[in-house]
Amino acid sequence: MTKAHLKVAADIGGTFTDIALFLPDGRLATRKVPSTPADYSAGVVEGMRSLVAELGLQPSDFAEIHHGCTVATNAILEQKGARTALLTTRGFRDVLELRRIRVPRLYDPLYVKPAPLAARNHRYEIGERMDADGQVLVELDEGDVMDAVAAIKREGIEAVAVCFLHSYRNPAHERRVGEILRRELPDLFVTLSVDVLPEIREYERTSTAVINAYVGPPVATYIGRLRDGLDRAGFSGQLMVMQSSGGTLDAQAVMDFPARIVECGPAAGVIGAAHEAAQIGTGNVITFDMGGTTAKASLIEDGQITRTDEYEVGGGISLSSRLLKGGGYALKLPVIDISEVGAGGGSIIRVDSAGAVKVGPDSAGAVPGPVCYGTGGSRPTVTDANMVLGYLNPNALAGGTVPVDAALAQASLVRDVASPLGMSIEEAAWSVYVVAAANMVRAVKAVSTYRGRNPSDFVLMAFGGNGGIFAAELMRQLQMKRAVVPAAAGVFSAVGLCVGEVQFSQSRSFLKKIAQVDYRELDAALADLERGVRGRLGSQHSRLTRRRSAAMRYVGQAFELGVPLPDRAMDATALAEVCELFEAEHERTYGLRLDGFATEIVSLDVSVSIEGSPLQQPAPAHAQASKVAERRAYFGPDAGWLATPVVERSQLARGGMTGPLIVEEYEGTTVVPPGALASLDGRGNIIIDMEAA
Amino acid sequence: MSTDNTISPFMLEVMKSAFETVADELAIIIMRTACSSIVRDAIDYSTAICDRNGLTLAQGATTPLHLGSFHDAMSNLIAREAGNIREGDVFVFNDPYLAGGQHLPDIYVIKPIFIDGEIEGWSTTVAHQNDVGGIVPGSNSIGSTEIFQEGLRLPILKLFDAGVSNVSVWKIIAANVRVPDIVTGDIKAQVAACHVGEREFRKLFARLGAEKFRQCCDAIHDYAERLTRSEIARVPDGVYRFRNHIDGIGTDPQPIPFCVSLAVSGDEVEVDWTGTSPEVRAGINAPVPFTRAAVYAAIRSVLSQDIPNAQGFTRPIRVIAPEGTIVNPRSPAACGARGITGFRMIDCLMGALAQAVPDKVGADGSGGATIPAIGGIHNGAPYVFVETMMGANGGTAGSDGQDGVAHVGANQSNIPVEVIETGYPLRIERYGYVADTGGPGRNRGGLAIERVFRFLGDEALLTIRSDKRRFRPFGLFGGGEGSGSLNVINPDTVDETLLPVLLTQPYRLKRGDVYKHVLASGGGYGDPLERDPEAVLADVVLERVSVEAALRDFGVVIVSRDSRPAVDPAATAAARSRAEAAA
Repeated sequence: MTKAHLKVAADIGGTFTDIALFLPDGRLATRKVPSTPADYSAGVVEGMRSLVAELGLQPSDFAEIHHGCTVATNAILEQKGARTALLTTRGFRDVLELRRIRVPRLYDPLYVKPAPLAARNHRYEIGERMDADGQVLVELDEGDVMDAVAAIKREGIEAVAVCFLHSYRNPAHERRVGEILRRELPDLFVTLSVDVLPEIREYERTSTAVINAYVGPPVATYIGRLRDGLDRAGFSGQLMVMQSSGGTLDAQAVMDFPARIVECGPAAGVIGAAHEAAQIGTGNVITFDMGGTTAKASLIEDGQITRTDEYEVGGGISLSSRLLKGGGYALKLPVIDISEVGAGGGSIIRVDSAGAVKVGPDSAGAVPGPVCYGTGGSRPTVTDANMVLGYLNPNALAGGTVPVDAALAQASLVRDVASPLGMSIEEAAWSVYVVAAANMVRAVKAVSTYRGRNPSDFVLMAFGGNGGIFAAELMRQLQMKRAVVPAAAGVFSAVGLCVGEVQFSQSRSFLKKIAQVDYRELDAALADLERGVRGRLGSQHSRLTRRRSAAMRYVGQAFELGVPLPDRAMDATALAEVCELFEAEHERTYGLRLDGFATEIVSLDVSVSIEGSPLQQPAPAHAQASKVAERRAYFGPDAGWLATPVVERSQLARGGMTGPLIVEEYEGTTVVPPGALASLDGRGNIIIDMEAA
Repeated sequence: MSTDNTISPFMLEVMKSAFETVADELAIIIMRTACSSIVRDAIDYSTAICDRNGLTLAQGATTPLHLGSFHDAMSNLIAREAGNIREGDVFVFNDPYLAGGQHLPDIYVIKPIFIDGEIEGWSTTVAHQNDVGGIVPGSNSIGSTEIFQEGLRLPILKLFDAGVSNVSVWKIIAANVRVPDIVTGDIKAQVAACHVGEREFRKLFARLGAEKFRQCCDAIHDYAERLTRSEIARVPDGVYRFRNHIDGIGTDPQPIPFCVSLAVSGDEVEVDWTGTSPEVRAGINAPVPFTRAAVYAAIRSVLSQDIPNAQGFTRPIRVIAPEGTIVNPRSPAACGARGITGFRMIDCLMGALAQAVPDKVGADGSGGATIPAIGGIHNGAPYVFVETMMGANGGTAGSDGQDGVAHVGANQSNIPVEVIETGYPLRIERYGYVADTGGPGRNRGGLAIERVFRFLGDEALLTIRSDKRRFRPFGLFGGGEGSGSLNVINPDTVDETLLPVLLTQPYRLKRGDVYKHVLASGGGYGDPLERDPEAVLADVVLERVSVEAALRDFGVVIVSRDSRPAVDPAATAAARSRAEAAA
């Protein structure tokens, strides 16, 4: 690999910005720098500049800069997006605010809905109407549009979404309004619903269009600022941004579809995991990403990432969202299917009035942080419990950079957990550890058993600052056999950005019973989608991979399953294959087929990706002869306190070691309990194998 | 509680969480595979994992009005079938009088879980089927006068007998319902969910072993009871009474009173419905298992969110429902459309709870699903359009009443306009809020919602289960009533016809007819003259409250300043003192 093709990646988190790059010899270099909330791009540029300089490289050596940012998510969570208007069909301006009526909490008469992202008085009704077949019932009233234009000017609106009923069948009115808006208000950010989500169901389409408009101006401002900063520092490479789907896209194209990057941070970790899984020849992986506030899980099967488009931004901890929707803003765009529970290192522990230990979802966050940080936190957290158990270094974390005080952790745990429950401190800390893991089990089950998959058929890939601490306990509770803690697990999202593929996808409604599908019409629809997608990627690329799929269901159902379409012209045989694939997947996922029911296609999706340049094998870590330390760690009432060796990752290279064992490194800690075997593979991954029970 | 000695707090939490995860897993399977809108959109079904005694360990997060609904069904099943239960059996039933059911559309599918020859638990589901026969499509006729008119009655039967499908039962079900594919499909989904429950239950059992597992089940009930008692103990002791009404049935509605007396004493509560209307000759009687479920859901709503939906939760709650009343009817009283009675019980109980815990409940809301249903034949094929329309809440101590939210008793969804217009001969002409309808209050009630349907077919039958036109949503602590519901055919034309709230006879729609359905709104909370004028201004800006209503209902004078609305503080102060003097 020559220098001109190097890639560097930067992933912004709430506290740290992570930088990763692969050196010309294939080795990985990483760096954690503080995030700079006033202007996140400053931290990104400075982090990259200093790491590159330290390695003796030049900014101009990098052909691509891959990026994951929180600007779109934060705009929504903090309600700081653009002042947004909506133009919609007369009689329907409240669709956005009425939502789907369901609420995310049961038994809660005090529940308050999230405020709409376009205020009621900024939702303008336009005379126009299509029927369900796309026939015009009422012609577009351009006078209404001009009235809205005047109001938009008067109200200081910065972005506009347009969503008319049945526009997915006939977009003429939306398109015409788009022309008028761009002519009259050239500086305004305009989103047409048919451009972001040409699919049936007006609330989801309206909400998606409004989100796109709402985050458009802040994303454009941010990307512009980042580009300027990169240029000034001499980074002239192409700027690529990761989408929630895990594919990366040129920053210019992202500015048209900013809603597609809302969940790029968690996505990058899964992409990194999928890449590493492929390198070590493991097709079936459950990813487990545990940081300070949440734990996330996702499923990779036969090397394929699982995606969904049932997603809400800002819905809070979203595990239960599979049953209880309505907590956030519906965003029906492809996103990696990640379930999340509020159990991270900073999750606060409490004992309820009936004597049960509760972990999270409240979090001490980065400020005030766990009690042991001594930065003002007073309520014990998961990290404090891990310290009491001896899993974490009692003097300093993050390779010695964050000093901690174990005595503070102990005192808080005694006061808030052990004393109220009349148990010893180690029993109290162990309770927290096991209960926190039980919460995480729910996240794993939500992406596996809930879809008919058995976790014990999968390898657990644990990353994030706390992933390695809980991997073994999760394996025990889920009867999994093997876990992998990859190298650079603590900055794994940045690694994922580095290895991500350029990819874009587009979907559209195609509601047809299988028996009524006209092959030519289906082929034409797919070809049309593919043309649009390729147009977004640019035509200069040669190694393109396309994936075509259909969302299918039995007639009458409300939920679809994605089914891959054969990579050839459609005919009766191909459709029969597709039907069988659907029914087999239905049986696998839910345990039944609905014999005698017709099947139907609901929508089509075409995804095209550009294969990344293959990465070289990172150089294997060399065994170092550093001293093996030891400290006491607690492994439950049966094993009790054990003298536990504390080693660096590289020391595992000399051969497997049986637990108890703690692997301590800059980015995180891995706990290997008694009865487990830890070893290092040729790529520097820690492999944990459970002894057969 | 002896179990505390052997089950540690963390084991308890881990197992509780595990059972909840399994119960949710069953619920997901049913939601995603169901073909009827009532199940997949309205989420009108429930799942639970029960212990060896048939007591609920965990219930899926679906329908609050089903809370505790497995208890009567399970105790009845175990009592009747003891000695006749074999491995591989799957039971099916629906009858409220013969099998502890709720009403005929709710079909229970239940599987015992045998481990080493013993029943160690139960996988249980109940789902509201699209149709179970009877005199109207959907089987929830308000006009029925006895259960025999309401459709297929299933006593406790074996759908599978030791693993062998009982073909006769499937055939009888298919022959008695209007949409046999959908109903048998949804029942199959329930069976599939039961199998998954059994599989996951076995895994949990294997982790602990028989003795520890059983102790753990008992400990979960004890824990739920302890937590509930400690929560109830925080509610001030006293007897809190409330009275509420259903407007009445048909073209000459007579009020149907609900009287509740809520007695809180230490860590227990007793809910007594004495004084409530006798059973009625219409399909809205609520069999007593449903009455208990409504009480549990209301009480649960003012307690900690942490309380698990395990049977032990109900131990400190006693329900008195005199036999022969609308909340405990005798066979063969009709009960197909008893949902409205459940919603009204919750509303009534909330009125009583407001006196005990005024910060934890809101003023009254629109009152649960109104179920407009339009059925007929279009292009040669029969169709039934059914929607669960909801809803507005009343104001609360902390916020304005929410609008566009589900009733606390049933977390149901609307159906997208585009889906309706694609699938049915209907066009929606408006769907949105109605300004100036929220009950005035320091915290305003939520706005009414209206949906205007235009019928595009030849002929169809329309039924509705609305309420609260005469007895409108109540306010609390000085807040005003909300607005009432309306059902109007061809509004603002010479043919304008006002329909009753509860139709006993379907209305015959003709091509081009318009049906305007307006829900009741939410009541206000606190004195409207204490409402922050800036909040009133915000409502005016958002076109939720008109300038006229701002003055009339809230005593706030809104003027135009720099061509924008603004509060006139002096005029507002004057208007408010005039209003106070007049009061």
